[in-house]
Amino acid sequence: MSLALLVPLFLLGLAGVVVPIVLHLTRRQRRNVVHFPSLMFLERIPYQEQRRRRIHYWLLLSLRAAALALVAVAFARPFFERDTSGVGAASGPQEVVVLIDQSYSMEIADQFDRALDEARRIFNELGPLDRASLVMFGQGARVVTRSTADRSQLTRALDTVQISSSATRFGPALKVSQTILEESELPSGEVFLLTDFQRNAWTGDEGIQLPAGSKVTAVQLGDETSDNIQVADVALAREAVSGRERVTPTARLTRRGGEQAKEVMVSLEIDGQELQSRPVTIPPNGSATVAFQPFTLSQPHTRGAVRVPSDDLSADNAHYFVVSPGTALAMLVVEGGAAARDASLYLQRALAISERRPFDVNFRRSSVVRAQDLVGTDGVIINDANVDGASAERLRRFVDAGGGLLLVLGQASGWPNSAADMLPGTIGQVQDRLQSRGGRLGFLEYGHPVFEPFAGPRSGDFTGARFFRARDFTPADSATVLARFDDGSVALAELRYGRGTVLVWTSTLDNFWNDLALQPVYLPFVHRISEYVGGRTEALPWFTVGQVVNLADPEALQTAGLVSAKAAGLVDGLDQVALTPSGQSVRLPAGDGPRYLLLEEHGFYVVRPPGSDPDRPFVIAVNVELEESNLARIDVEELVAQVGTATVGPEDGPDFAQATEMRMVDQERRQSLWRWVLLAAFSLFVSETLLSNWVSRKAGVPGVATS
Amino acid sequence: MMARARAQASARGGTQFLDPAVLARISNLELLSRTVVDGFLTGLHRSPYLGFSTDFAEHRQYMPGDDVRLIDWKLFARSDRHYIKLFEAETNTNFMVLLDVSASMSYGSHEVTKLDYARYLAACLTFFSHRQRDRVGLVTFDQEIVKYVPPSMKRMDTILHVLDQAEAGRAGSLKEPAMQMAELLGRKGIVVVISDFYEDPDTVLAAIAPLRGRGHDVIVFHVMDPAELGFPFDQPSGFEDLETGEQIPVIPNRLKDDYIRLVKNHLAELERRFTDNRIDYTLLDTSKPLDLALFQYLLAREHSSRKR
Repeated sequence: MSLALLVPLFLLGLAGVVVPIVLHLTRRQRRNVVHFPSLMFLERIPYQEQRRRRIHYWLLLSLRAAALALVAVAFARPFFERDTSGVGAASGPQEVVVLIDQSYSMEIADQFDRALDEARRIFNELGPLDRASLVMFGQGARVVTRSTADRSQLTRALDTVQISSSATRFGPALKVSQTILEESELPSGEVFLLTDFQRNAWTGDEGIQLPAGSKVTAVQLGDETSDNIQVADVALAREAVSGRERVTPTARLTRRGGEQAKEVMVSLEIDGQELQSRPVTIPPNGSATVAFQPFTLSQPHTRGAVRVPSDDLSADNAHYFVVSPGTALAMLVVEGGAAARDASLYLQRALAISERRPFDVNFRRSSVVRAQDLVGTDGVIINDANVDGASAERLRRFVDAGGGLLLVLGQASGWPNSAADMLPGTIGQVQDRLQSRGGRLGFLEYGHPVFEPFAGPRSGDFTGARFFRARDFTPADSATVLARFDDGSVALAELRYGRGTVLVWTSTLDNFWNDLALQPVYLPFVHRISEYVGGRTEALPWFTVGQVVNLADPEALQTAGLVSAKAAGLVDGLDQVALTPSGQSVRLPAGDGPRYLLLEEHGFYVVRPPGSDPDRPFVIAVNVELEESNLARIDVEELVAQVGTATVGPEDGPDFAQATEMRMVDQERRQSLWRWVLLAAFSLFVSETLLSNWVSRKAGVPGVATS
Repeated sequence: MMARARAQASARGGTQFLDPAVLARISNLELLSRTVVDGFLTGLHRSPYLGFSTDFAEHRQYMPGDDVRLIDWKLFARSDRHYIKLFEAETNTNFMVLLDVSASMSYGSHEVTKLDYARYLAACLTFFSHRQRDRVGLVTFDQEIVKYVPPSMKRMDTILHVLDQAEAGRAGSLKEPAMQMAELLGRKGIVVVISDFYEDPDTVLAAIAPLRGRGHDVIVFHVMDPAELGFPFDQPSGFEDLETGEQIPVIPNRLKDDYIRLVKNHLAELERRFTDNRIDYTLLDTSKPLDLALFQYLLAREHSSRKR
């Protein structure tokens, strides 16, 4: 450690020390010169000035000289240069980024409070030139305070943060810290990661690379040893009994940790009232299933929850869901007037078979589609019929308004050219494949809702069906081909038209041109494609924290479980308010744009018009990400090692000279020796003044005190 | 002294033109000297000293109406008859003015510098003597003779011109110019020395005494500014010598008494030494009117005529 000067040029001010000496020794008065005829008599007087050539008050002169010297030294900004070996310290002021995990697992053993305390300690130890950012993270990352040197602002920001319902992901947080460090002008950076280091939060391929001169300091807060029981899942089996829908909830419980089997009471709440409770014994690191008695579902937007007693981690002790009674889809099946009597036999039987979500089917043996036939209809299936132009125009308006149309092509199918633009392609001739023992479906778009249930293994095999005939179909550019035969020809194509959709199935849905109707997948396929055409959307009984719902999108609302906007009091074009599980109110103003609701908390979100209290408001259930309950820890060193740091090179990081200068400035600021030096100079000036006055009084004449 | 006081008192009413501040406004020295001398003589009226500068010519019997003061009483004692003296109109006496134009003479704490005052005085005395038909001359000097106008009846204009052009310049020293003047002035006459005498009294006397020794009537006018006499300064300042340029810091409050004491001692010593050498010495304050100098001059002439 050596004494150094930040601005040594100010030492030139030491030359000012000679000023009092020169003033003492010189006998010329620079000011107020009087011309006098002769100094003959004046020079004969034994004059005091002669004594000015000698220094009489050494102490006074020393005080003045020392005070001036101290002022010069103070301006030179002295400091003790410390030999620092740490990366950050050696490179001067730091850009500090504090990442605090606010996932719900942090509630275990007051980890979140300890994280806040640790953050306060870090902020308090910041240097004068250091800058710091506060980033709260869960699945995402939120910059609370960005790159500031204001400690009070940082400390105040800590008072505003709280634990969330989200899971932990290190990637976004480290990415944010990487951005902050890259944008920083400070020569070095340090990222403090305050978390419980769950293994699930890090995949290792996040591609984080901090800039040169940066490092990650892991502050481990978690304790892996905990006993946590969570409601992992709730299955809601529905059945129609005597025209009413009954729901049988079955909860699956898992337990992490523990040493002995544990019996807990699992309760079922419906609309806030506990209906049932069941004891269940869960082994250590095991699971158990609890089946509740069925309850009758009569009201839309019925809230339910399965709870276990609270433990170390309370967020996963309840599983929330919302269920509503199913509604029948109104389907219109149009057959040609000359069609065989059993032309729609399989279709009719398939639509009639349903344990829940029944189809209300209206069969019409006529190629003419009347306007009244479409009133209250969700979807129309044209089964091998020759549609005239007027009917096509009615169907155009129907589809444009949001309806669905499935055109099943057969021998008698026909479509007027005037409405050809609403089809996904052009209908051609009959292609006969009898000689090749029929074709098969070679391609299915499993990502489409129609085929999505069949995507998994043993979820339905379409390849067993043989297709002997089909209509040639040339898809339009804007159409989407959802299924193709093995020869590449189109089997199913879709075109979004207006607010609705038009699908064309190029073969029949009976057993005339194919034997699909004899395959096991026929029934679910007909159900899925009818539901899709009818606009039925699978309502999700719950969402997961972090998901977003667009309340301006009708399909999204159906997915969210809105079955009765009237009962919920929701009217298009009016403002809405969402009450979060914690009681916060989120305004959702009306407008043409989307109306996003971010689901950040677990529990029930209630959406209603402002100032109203409808009987059955629209409710969205939100559950936590269950993998957050897995407290298995990642190796901290492994994580730090995987967070890459750019190699420090002359051309990489900040300029070395600049870094050195900033380090010196930082050390000088930290020590602030100039204040003490200046204080000493001031003290000397005061002492000099007192001494000078005393000497002056003693000498009797002002102005000669220093001589 | 009684006579001088009486003369001063009687002349007070006609000496308004003798105020140096008033004279300073008159740029023409001839006009100035004429104004001063005429005013001065007018103020004297029947001055008892009128005609003292003329030489005796012959006796004439007293006639009623003659001035009884002109009766030669010695002759009456011898002859028991009244005769009056008749004098020649001019005496042709040499009248030289030695004017110090050293740098110290340029000092002035008010409107009139010492050189200005000395210049007025020299002009007046020269003009006065010229009207008495004396031969007048002028020497300006500092550490040597600067200008020399030999005594003559016809060079009054030259003298006034030289006086008008005189400027203070170098440092002054009386010894060398005085020695040269002693050699130049062969004929006895009246020598008026006007200076501030910033030299040691011994040095001054060593320079002036030879003039007296050669038979000249020497009249010394010591010109001093009131600031030199009273030292009215109060602010600590750097005092710069006008002749040498030397500068010293001075705290007047501490030095005033000592300074005044030294100056008084110096003046007293000069007066004593001049008196001892029968040299008329007059200290002139430049803030005072010129009449004192003129009266002093007249007294000296009276003294001179009585001796004759």
